[in-house]
Amino acid sequence: MLRFLASRLGTAVLVLFVLTLVVFVLSRVIPGDPAVVYAGPKAPPEELARISEKLGFDQPLFVQYFTYLGGLVTGDWGNSLATKQPVLDELATRLPATLELLFAALLIAVVFGIVLGVVAAKRPGKALDGAIRFLAIGGVSMPAFWLGLLLQVLFVGRLGWLPATGQFSTEVEYVSPIAHVTGFPLFDSVITGNWVAYGDGLAHLILPALTLAAYPLGLIARMTRASMLEVLGQDYVFTASAFGLRSGIIRWKLALKNALPPTMTIIGLAAAYTLTGTFFVEVVFNWPGIGQFAVNAMLAVDYPAIMAITLLGAAGYLIANLVVDLIQARLDPRVRLS
Amino acid sequence: MAVTRARTRRALTLLAVGAAGVVGLAGCTVGGSSANTDSSVLSVAASAAVTTWDPVRSFSTEALYLGNVYEPLLWKNAEGAAEEFTPAIAESWEVSDDGLTWTFDIREGATFHDGEPVDAEAVAASIEAAKDHAGASFIWAPLETIEATDDSTVVMHLAYSAPMDLVAASTYGAWIVSPKALEASAGDEQYFEVGIDAGTGPYTVKSYSPGEKVVLEAYDDHWNEEALPHYDIIDIAITPDAVTAQQMLTAGEVDLATSLPLENIDTVASDLGSEVRTANSPFNFVAFFNTTRPPLDDPKVRQALSYAVPYEDIIEVGGAGYGTQAHGPVPKGIFPYSEDVPQYSQDLDTAKTLLAEAGHADGFTLNLTYASENSAEARFVPLIKDAFAKIGVTVEVRAELFNQQWENAKADPATAQDIFVVYYWPTYSDAGSDNLYSLFHSSEAPFFNLSYWSNAEYDALVDEAGTLTGSDRDAAQAKYEEAMNLLVDQAPGIFLYDAQAVSIVPTGLEVADFNENYPFTTFFAPIRPAN
Repeated sequence: MLRFLASRLGTAVLVLFVLTLVVFVLSRVIPGDPAVVYAGPKAPPEELARISEKLGFDQPLFVQYFTYLGGLVTGDWGNSLATKQPVLDELATRLPATLELLFAALLIAVVFGIVLGVVAAKRPGKALDGAIRFLAIGGVSMPAFWLGLLLQVLFVGRLGWLPATGQFSTEVEYVSPIAHVTGFPLFDSVITGNWVAYGDGLAHLILPALTLAAYPLGLIARMTRASMLEVLGQDYVFTASAFGLRSGIIRWKLALKNALPPTMTIIGLAAAYTLTGTFFVEVVFNWPGIGQFAVNAMLAVDYPAIMAITLLGAAGYLIANLVVDLIQARLDPRVRLS
Repeated sequence: MAVTRARTRRALTLLAVGAAGVVGLAGCTVGGSSANTDSSVLSVAASAAVTTWDPVRSFSTEALYLGNVYEPLLWKNAEGAAEEFTPAIAESWEVSDDGLTWTFDIREGATFHDGEPVDAEAVAASIEAAKDHAGASFIWAPLETIEATDDSTVVMHLAYSAPMDLVAASTYGAWIVSPKALEASAGDEQYFEVGIDAGTGPYTVKSYSPGEKVVLEAYDDHWNEEALPHYDIIDIAITPDAVTAQQMLTAGEVDLATSLPLENIDTVASDLGSEVRTANSPFNFVAFFNTTRPPLDDPKVRQALSYAVPYEDIIEVGGAGYGTQAHGPVPKGIFPYSEDVPQYSQDLDTAKTLLAEAGHADGFTLNLTYASENSAEARFVPLIKDAFAKIGVTVEVRAELFNQQWENAKADPATAQDIFVVYYWPTYSDAGSDNLYSLFHSSEAPFFNLSYWSNAEYDALVDEAGTLTGSDRDAAQAKYEEAMNLLVDQAPGIFLYDAQAVSIVPTGLEVADFNENYPFTTFFAPIRPAN
């Protein structure tokens, strides 16, 4: 177990190192002057030269790269060219918003995905199965930004039930400001008993979380259905049935446990994929998280920010995969950690 | 976030009213926004990012915020106002006959947000800092020395005559900054970046979350009691995406949005039952021809292409109709704009004839670049391509991020693009010293002259006009018009259109008119609930 973890971590570090090199080189060979990003589009040549010198853009590429690597290991990831703030601070203030959104979306996707998958497998080919399959395929194939806009038009524009954008209403900030405890605003509003903010935050969370959940939900539902059908066709299920076990117990206890491992793999992949989904969802819903910051960084060719986001994203992906492997080993004794 | 008790109570009332409003309105309309109630918080969606909070270095979209927080010596009024300027930190000013000595009387009783008094010393220090290291320091180039002769008098001595009233009213490099903050920022370039402000304006920066939010708070000790803000708090969500801003406005989440998708303006206005307001803007579209190599080194070819452009369609498609065909590169309403400068209009027969005369009856191929982040350019560029195809000229179009497009264009004219579409605006309200000079005056290394055009006669006219602007503006105007006539005739670029500023004023709000001299600034102090 320890050896497994050590080797996986070693690989992860290597992957991240190679990634820094690739992203660094790619982001510097495309034309465009980083000093312009820093100073604004109309800054005169002398100002651009001064900034280039100050920020080291006039140095040879490999010098810049090693300076960057040196900073990386000592915790100095550089300042964003667009906001001038340390990139790590920028990410730290935005991460909670993204994690809350991601967590809510995955919770919806896992719970409803598994339930829908099991229900669909009950009577394959019947109307309910068809409806669920339609929903699942829709969820997987609908682009997030499009679905987000549709939900906004329906729930905000037509029905007026939910707020369109942002994480909290302006009023909340002046009437029931959220105390900073853990840094996760929705969680903080619960533990400080700030129910006005909690209700408001929850209302704001619903649409972006649903939008973000659509893809993993569809994936999980389809996978659960397929592996349930396979498990339900096996001998021990017939045996259990012959012994008179209630079909609900067979389905939700016996069969589901054996159908879960493939679903777990999918959940891991979907979780990692959903991370990129936040890019679109956060822009559409003006969600103050990392995704929106990432999109702006890429549009502005803000190198330090792009580097940090890429590394963070890759680390998130690697961690998600590792966690899935560990859980899978727990669920299925046949899987060995080696 | 600390909010004073009185404000909290007012805000609570607001929330109660707002909640009642939402319940009452449920099912009939969305958009019971706080603008309709007696509120002290105005919420705004704005696209402007903050590249720096340093008022001296600022040279980008953060002017939206800085214009509410800082003040210059003078404000330049919008075209058509009775007075050309409104005094701000300067109470009055005069210029010597030769245009070389400018004397400004500094207002008494104004204070910086950090408590420092505003005096002649502070003004001189601000301007010296700007001349030394402003993003737009070049606007102070004519200034030789500046001195505070007493507590309330500042005298500027110039090396050559220049319009220092216009310079002092610039939206960049002309803010008057507290000497204490100037000193602090001299030792620490990051000093301002957390959202510190050191201005004299009607608002102060209350909080700043990079890329996310700017909150402004009324400055109760502002010198001008007649111009005190109507809203205590301006809560601005930085919303780069115009469609999102539209959603927020129509859903009533914000009271005001500074940029909306042009093509949806009418729909949004009718949804909200509010008016669409247009004004001159300093923004102007030009397409540079690369004049360094055939076939575009031949004026006749450039004229032919200028005759091929469908100007009206371009305004219709690119600007959703909100624009006017350009008279040269000087935007409408900005000195030295003139309706007398001739325009080309689409005439394909003339275009073909001219091409044939130049020996290109069979046409040729050109490549064109535009800034991919500029949606207007993305929409109208295909029209140019189609029109040129009709006279036998093939155009290969390439979209690049502006930064990359510009970098490639500056690198080497010999290998650069044939046509470069640019969206340009003057730094301060003198398009002679900026647009006419920056875009078409010859230069050793190309910076904004991306047609790489070099014409001695034009250079002489622009140089002469520049020195006349400070002492004799009418004479300068006449010279500039001569230069523009020459420019249009020689056609080193296509002069496409002057964009209009378009805004929606939501019902329930009274908003001052757009001022083309401060195109990035929305002035919040005059905004108030309508009766």
